Amino acid sequence: MRAENYQQQSHPPSNQFELNFGPNHPGIEGNYALQVEVEGDVIVKARADGGYLHRGFEKLMEQRLWIQNISLVPRICVPDPSPMEVCYSMAIEEISGIEVPERAQWIRVLQLELSRIAAHLFTFGGHAATTGMYTPMYWGVADRDLILDLFEEFTGGRIYSIYNLPGGVRRELPDGFLDKVSEVIDYIESRLPEYDNLFFRNAVFIKRAKGVGVLTQEKSLEMGVTGPNLRATGLAFDLRRDDPYLVYDKLDFEVVVEEAGDAWARTLVRRQELLQSIRIVRQVVAALPDIGGELRAPIPNPLAWRVPAGESYARVESSKGELAYFVVSNGGEKPWRVHVRGPSAMHAVQVLEELVTGGRVEDVAQTMFSLDACPPEVDR
Amino acid sequence: MKEIKVENRREGNILSRVFDELNEFCRARSLFILHYCTGCGAIELPPVMTSRFDMERLGVQPMVTPRQADILLITGYVSIKTLKRVMLTYEQMGSPKYVIGICSCTVNGGMYWQSYATAKKLDEYMPVDLYIAGCMPRPEAIISGLRSLIRNIELGESNNWKKYYENYDYYLGNQQKLFGDEWQTPVDVIGEAEHYGLVGEGTYGEHTEILQRVQQPLKPLEMRL
Repeated sequence: MRAENYQQQSHPPSNQFELNFGPNHPGIEGNYALQVEVEGDVIVKARADGGYLHRGFEKLMEQRLWIQNISLVPRICVPDPSPMEVCYSMAIEEISGIEVPERAQWIRVLQLELSRIAAHLFTFGGHAATTGMYTPMYWGVADRDLILDLFEEFTGGRIYSIYNLPGGVRRELPDGFLDKVSEVIDYIESRLPEYDNLFFRNAVFIKRAKGVGVLTQEKSLEMGVTGPNLRATGLAFDLRRDDPYLVYDKLDFEVVVEEAGDAWARTLVRRQELLQSIRIVRQVVAALPDIGGELRAPIPNPLAWRVPAGESYARVESSKGELAYFVVSNGGEKPWRVHVRGPSAMHAVQVLEELVTGGRVEDVAQTMFSLDACPPEVDR
Repeated sequence: MKEIKVENRREGNILSRVFDELNEFCRARSLFILHYCTGCGAIELPPVMTSRFDMERLGVQPMVTPRQADILLITGYVSIKTLKRVMLTYEQMGSPKYVIGICSCTVNGGMYWQSYATAKKLDEYMPVDLYIAGCMPRPEAIISGLRSLIRNIELGESNNWKKYYENYDYYLGNQQKLFGDEWQTPVDVIGEAEHYGLVGEGTYGEHTEILQRVQQPLKPLEMRL
């Protein structure tokens, strides 16, 4: 401010301020903002301010062919893109009555679980950085990169794989790929005790996270909370077990539950889920060599594919929570309507507003990371 | 701010020549990237920043505030709501400043070319020094892009930030098309251009006339204790 512009004004003393928290803020996850009113350090009112990443996905998908949308959907949630394409393909398969070959289903499970491990490692790194610990961030990102290398080898893309088609998967696994998967998985499992010592059992983190952003079970059911955030309130609900899709009913894993419902419990659920995902990947790696057969069911010419009229609702458990696609077809070349039910739309708007109110300013970033919200999916 | 071309620089005073070269050498080796993730390309930045690809070995580091940053990374598509913030941020940054457009979406709209909500070509709103195409570009591509920016700065070829002052009317016109005629930012770009002697043929025009007509004088911030 220039000196000639400055006019001294007197105001009644007040400790109330309005703060713009984001979008250009290192503590916020992605391009997202919160407008908070603070009294000293305590937040009295919070309003989520999204829309910075809005691209109009649901409208764009109505203007493209069924098959073109496969490359569009992973962009909805950038840190965890694989469930998007699998779920969209499942919705189309349900309308057109395509039976997916068994081998393709197992490969999809492998892809989903690897993606979940990568997403959890990424969140773990970001969450540690919000509490002032930067070493876990370096570790989490570096270990996630090993999984991205696997993705690159078997799908061709580091982040966006675009590996699925309605009816199956695109191509066969490369030679010796399963050995590499077990090598990486072994390495990540050997790192888990080190993570525990560095971060999850760190006194700084426990003091910062315990009792922050407490969600009760009733409240979370009211507000549509799903996924690890719901399991952290003591409700063992996991779509992989309670509404099994693909081949999850043949796999052996536990649904991780914590009781406290605060940021600490949510983080611990993700930590335990890493172990469960590793278990699932091991089973898939052991089973895949014995499962032969086709990689995808025959589908009509994809560029002139008219999916029969009908509607379907497919849902999967992504690393953020319950992800669902509601697809309506009127028998045309393009979808008539596609609705995406993203978990973060609930977590980052109504739940985040509720949780940060009454808390302190320095806990906002931590609460957001512990909810594992994904801003591109909120705005779509 | 007289511009001396690289090949003519050796003809001048030896001391000033040494000082100029030292200046650009240092500037190219200490770059701060503004920590603003505008789109999906931001997901490849943590690997670039951290130990595997490690952009710090090039002297590039993230920075949290626009006024201390040198590079504005536009990582992917910019929706119109974001573009307003990007413009505010860009004008706040101190010169010399560099803009890197990462991902195809900044080049021509990418796969959102139909979308009603995104700005298609970043070049219409601010001068861009370097594009890194790809959806999304790999960390190696980002590192190599940063290296070519460093080389350009060292050779004195990366002076696109001056274009914003010299062609302010064009950029302002495109901004007014998107945001409406009432669009104004707190930064007095024309005043800065006059102060630094960067007034070009395109600094004034019909759009700056609209701006001067509708411009609200800036009010001092409310000071409260």
